[in-house]
Amino acid sequence: MSIIEVRELTKVFRQPVKGPGLAGAFKHLFTQKYVEKRAVDNIHFSIDEGEVVAYVGPNGAGKSTTIKMLSGILIPTSGHVSVNGLIPHKQRMENARSIGVVFGHRTQLWPDIPVMESLTLIKDMYDISSEDFKKRMDFFVELLEMSDFLHVTARKLSLGQRMRADLAAALLHEPKIVYLDEPTIGLDVAVKQQVRSFIKKINREKHTTIILTTHDLGDIEELCKRLIIIDKGQIIFDGPLESVTDQYARERVLHFQVMERVENPHQYLQGLPGCRLEEKSDTHFSVYFDKTLLSASDIVSRFLGAANIIDFKIDEPKIDDVIKHVYEGKLHLDPREESV
Amino acid sequence: MNTVIRRSIKDRVIKNVYIYFRIFVQNLRAILEYQTDFVITMIVAIITQLLGFFFLHLVFQKVPDINGWTLWEVLFMYAMLYISGGVSSLFFGGLWSIGSLVRRGGLDLYLVRPVSPLVQVLASNVGMNGLGNLVTGGIILTHSLMNMNIAWSVQKGIFLVIFLISAVIIRTSIIMAANSSAFWIRSARNTVPFLINTISDFVQFPITIYPLGIRTLVTMIFPYAFIGFFPANYLFKDTEFAVWGLLTPLVAIYCMMMAALLFKRGLKSYESVGN
Amino acid sequence: MIRKIYISLANRSMQETMVNRTSFILNIGASFLIILSSYYLWKAIFAGRDQLGGFSWEEMKAYLIISFLSNTILSYFSEVKISQKILDGSIAFDLLKPIDFQKARLAETVGSSVFEGLVSVVLAFLFLFLYEGVAVPESPITWVFFIISFILSQTVKYGVIYIFSIFCFWTTGFLGVALARAAVTSLFSGALIPLSYFPSTLQKICTILPFSSIVHYPISIYLERMDNIEILGIIGLQAFWAIALWFFGKWFWSQAVKKITINGG
Repeated sequence: MSIIEVRELTKVFRQPVKGPGLAGAFKHLFTQKYVEKRAVDNIHFSIDEGEVVAYVGPNGAGKSTTIKMLSGILIPTSGHVSVNGLIPHKQRMENARSIGVVFGHRTQLWPDIPVMESLTLIKDMYDISSEDFKKRMDFFVELLEMSDFLHVTARKLSLGQRMRADLAAALLHEPKIVYLDEPTIGLDVAVKQQVRSFIKKINREKHTTIILTTHDLGDIEELCKRLIIIDKGQIIFDGPLESVTDQYARERVLHFQVMERVENPHQYLQGLPGCRLEEKSDTHFSVYFDKTLLSASDIVSRFLGAANIIDFKIDEPKIDDVIKHVYEGKLHLDPREESV
Repeated sequence: MNTVIRRSIKDRVIKNVYIYFRIFVQNLRAILEYQTDFVITMIVAIITQLLGFFFLHLVFQKVPDINGWTLWEVLFMYAMLYISGGVSSLFFGGLWSIGSLVRRGGLDLYLVRPVSPLVQVLASNVGMNGLGNLVTGGIILTHSLMNMNIAWSVQKGIFLVIFLISAVIIRTSIIMAANSSAFWIRSARNTVPFLINTISDFVQFPITIYPLGIRTLVTMIFPYAFIGFFPANYLFKDTEFAVWGLLTPLVAIYCMMMAALLFKRGLKSYESVGN
Repeated sequence: MIRKIYISLANRSMQETMVNRTSFILNIGASFLIILSSYYLWKAIFAGRDQLGGFSWEEMKAYLIISFLSNTILSYFSEVKISQKILDGSIAFDLLKPIDFQKARLAETVGSSVFEGLVSVVLAFLFLFLYEGVAVPESPITWVFFIISFILSQTVKYGVIYIFSIFCFWTTGFLGVALARAAVTSLFSGALIPLSYFPSTLQKICTILPFSSIVHYPISIYLERMDNIEILGIIGLQAFWAIALWFFGKWFWSQAVKKITINGG
């Protein structure tokens, strides 16, 4: 029994278009021309309760438009959408009780009051009882290590702290479905890990359905079993994640910054399969490797004795590259599962 | 099967009022943190009002009346305008943020919560300038009433209270309707709310000085005249317009309904068009 | 001479005024309403008298038109835009650009004003046409002096607006500050009421302040109340204020920038 059902869903926007320059602006005063944009074009999918799905695509592909229709903020042009048995835009407030949203770039918290006060306000908005509130707060505070910033005003939080607080805020009312938009963007490795484990735990224990929109492949690999790719308003892939990662998204890049130039750095990678080195400058070079064949430490250890390493960082591939490859047909994937 | 929570209208109203106050108090707390800031805002508001008062004082130094209205009678209307504007700013200042909420998508956050978006909008901003205006306006009102020879009665007393409440409702409703324009005019340069608010300046003076067109504008279209002019006529001018003063509470209810309708339509449009 | 970037800023600003038709038309309509209402107010104040406050009714009508032009030509948006940039933090980007902030905002203001200014002038002439009996200068030289004085007055006005907008670095109530500025400027420039209505000590003080250069002096020139020597003196005073305010604005700006770079946010 699917908790989210989307059939023939379409959203068309009308945008005014004006000619360039001053003349165009002036003409625009008298005659207005519009162009139609099919942001979401006849898409289908269904999601079962408890699934963790990555909903990805390049910018402007229709991701946020879809999410907005699922949360009831946007009215579809045509088609059918049902979430938890309700039609989101028709029963918006009821639907609101069973969903939680984390906007990666915007916070739910009130900026000039302590985090705890924001959460208490949210408790009141969702009619959460004091016992439930206390229980859930204890849970969040422990798992997300919130005790040292609960009484700080939201404006003064670091990005990592803010994200954790926003997660608590979104999950306070134990929604059945959570939409996470870029939840780990800009976070450092440690906090990213914390956020990912938290999300995994919530999914396991509360059976929360999670829809994740992100450009971070690391997020997707750790959390999601299913991947839906949307591009130019149409779904071009819907299936298990392995199909994608096994064939692609194996490349990682290690960027090194060294004190002084290393003589013939290629020699240190001898014997290591499937990697190549590019020198960017005297003090910077990068190593491209296949993560299924090597680990980052395999490579770093090779240079530890030889070079005075000031800094290094690892690039995780972007989902955009994966999509590009799917689209270019470089990826041969399992056929889409049709919903019953 | 999903359980649908049926709430009675009374429950919903109580909840909305409660949430309004919760958000309002938190925003007020936040503002009081920045003390210099809110003191400056209040002082600035008081200065603005006093300058207007000074203007009237200067004019009346040279002429004894304007169209038969003396200084105190004009000040009554002036004060009603500022009191209604002040209460509006203080308690419903969030209305002025509708534009930026729509443009930047902050409204989405309100829509995703199980609380009336209007309530969240209303409470979203506390205009401390409103407090300054309210107090100064109150002082001017008291003085003007004391300086006029009014035959007070219980009936007039009750009506004064009704006029004050209606003035706030009419002012707030017009502000709500004017700011709802932001749902359709998405430009950051939308001057509609500001312009409609500026029109309220016309009713500082007896509307009898204006031609029919302007009189209709501030009576029928944006009923600002019911904030000060018609109540004044009922309370102490006793002209043929005195009777119109009695219509004030009805006009207030009408304005409230129109504003709510416009806001609702605007919200619908926002949900169709997105941002 | 004038860097290309400033011209394109002005250009873009002009385009922005035309983006929304409804808004544009409403602005024009509202401006018309405002001049109309001040006409009716003063008509009621004069109540058929020939003279009041040292002005004849014909002169008063001219006064209203010029005051209106002075108020509406520089759009309200230059203030809002500057304050907005400070409040939402986008000013950080402007600080990084190799463009003089003050000059850039002036370019934008001029851009948005050209079109609206044109419309205001058309409205003013419409008004003149509908309600004839407006005082007009006899000598053509007056027109020349008047136009110079008017242009200077707008420069002074911009100077005042710019300085007040920077107050936003210290307070978030920018709308209030803008309204207060408008009120103070309106009153002390003579836009709202001729300075002759003020008690004499206050009048003397006003002549020293920059505000009188915005409305009072240009109008005095227009109504031919001064001889040529006095006129030159006034134009000199206006020029002084225009320059003084520009440099004060520059200094004030640098103080404000220091504040954010030290405190952040």
